[in-house]
Amino acid sequence: MSNPSRFPRGEAAIAGIGCTAYSKDSGVSVFNLAAQAIKAALTDAGLTMADVDGLVTFGPNDSIPPNMLAQGLGIKSMSFYLDHFLGGSVSISTVGQAALAVSAGVADCVVVYRALNGRSELRMNGSGAPRMRQPWDMPYKINAGYIAPSQEIAMAARAHMLRYGTTSEDFGRVAIMSRNHALDNPRAMMHEPLTMDDYLESRWIADPFRKYDCCLETDGAAAVVIVPAERAKDLPHRPVLLQGAAWGGGITIVNNDFDDIADSPARPVAERLYASAGIGPGDIDLVEFYDCFTYSVISQVEGYGFAEAGEVPAMLAEGRFDREGGALPINTHGGLLSEAYIHGINHVYEAVEQIRGEAGVRQVERHDTALVTGQVGYVSGYSSAIILQGA
Amino acid sequence: MADRLMTPMVDRDSAPYWKALADGRFELQHCRRCGHWNWPPRPVCSGCLGTDLAWEQPSGTGSVYSWVVTHQVYGPDWAQEVPYTIALVRLDEQRDLLVPAILRSGVDAEPGMRVRAVAERIADGIGLLYWEAVRA
Repeated sequence: MSNPSRFPRGEAAIAGIGCTAYSKDSGVSVFNLAAQAIKAALTDAGLTMADVDGLVTFGPNDSIPPNMLAQGLGIKSMSFYLDHFLGGSVSISTVGQAALAVSAGVADCVVVYRALNGRSELRMNGSGAPRMRQPWDMPYKINAGYIAPSQEIAMAARAHMLRYGTTSEDFGRVAIMSRNHALDNPRAMMHEPLTMDDYLESRWIADPFRKYDCCLETDGAAAVVIVPAERAKDLPHRPVLLQGAAWGGGITIVNNDFDDIADSPARPVAERLYASAGIGPGDIDLVEFYDCFTYSVISQVEGYGFAEAGEVPAMLAEGRFDREGGALPINTHGGLLSEAYIHGINHVYEAVEQIRGEAGVRQVERHDTALVTGQVGYVSGYSSAIILQGA
Repeated sequence: MADRLMTPMVDRDSAPYWKALADGRFELQHCRRCGHWNWPPRPVCSGCLGTDLAWEQPSGTGSVYSWVVTHQVYGPDWAQEVPYTIALVRLDEQRDLLVPAILRSGVDAEPGMRVRAVAERIADGIGLLYWEAVRA
């Protein structure tokens, strides 16, 4: 049996964050984006490239990998590396694994980065090279014209609608909340308000999902610097401690034993995550949920124990998750839906700014403890999450 | 159909599955030891890890559990198909056999709608699975 409570709470800390501009066309290479974000994160941490002894990233073969980047940036020998294949479901896993490496003394300064030209070059949703070896589950999806995450998560959203009476307007409230949170965020790609009429009139993508149920496509990069907590004390910013991390399986097309995809696949991850940090949902001040689609937020509010299944629509209508006046602010930067699609590393960036108290007009009142998640667990069969806490 | 860009990649476990579909049959691996039905094809039974798996035709019928109407063109192979409905169907044989395929009946999907499997050959050794409404 695993024992999540043995997670090395508070032994590793995020000491620096950096990002590029987020756009539809960066005009530069992914290597260039990664280098910019990493240099910015190191500057923020008061460190230099000479301090870095680990590089960690992820992606569906659309990025610049650690081995190439290390050589290119003059890192002679990495003590730790990880190049995790796949997307949002492993986004936060990478941060958790970097924290474990640093806590174990395997590495002393690990940079986790995600860089992509996700709009101007390699877009998601079936744009990959068709002649490459298909992932194990892909043939059965190709058979069904079922090749995009938007379709698979829409399938779960429909199941939730059928079981709990969730409506399009409920999804629309998630989109509008996210947009509201992006309006005053200088990093955000979306600065125009979104109304319920705009939402309902937007074109169908994969019914029940409309255009505004789907996240953005972005060129850009973000990076975070992870060092031992002891070392972070001597660096410029309030250390942001890795208090907990968890990994979990989710639902794939194999679907062995899952017989109702309306149940949040986040539940088992959440249980281990809270055990790893020694706290519960009531101790969380703010949340950055992986929001590739609106429904993903609803599923995670349930799965991470903030509501019973079916209760989220009423909470959305009451503004419970609004940055201003909400008891539990969610996606304070606008998320993947309205800030940018940096595959979840932008969520870590925002959580760190909030915990430091440096989020400016977006600053939430209670900001010591944040939950940050990866994709809830549909599609790939993986999910991941961390709990961050200010020292 | 021959000029499709994306055809299912056949591997050593799944070849009999795609071949059966090409011949007009929907077949699954039925474990001779524990009776578990397995889909998609795999080298061991997920019920008991046994390897004595028989290719058998299930009833081929099931009920619509959820569905998505795809309007976005995700690849050139589906440009002429949109909007199309992908139905996730719970097979009558086993609660956790949830199989997605395009619903071809020209009727709107409904929860619990009864459907049956139909197969169509697209290339040598490869057929596709579709769902079709069972008329009462």
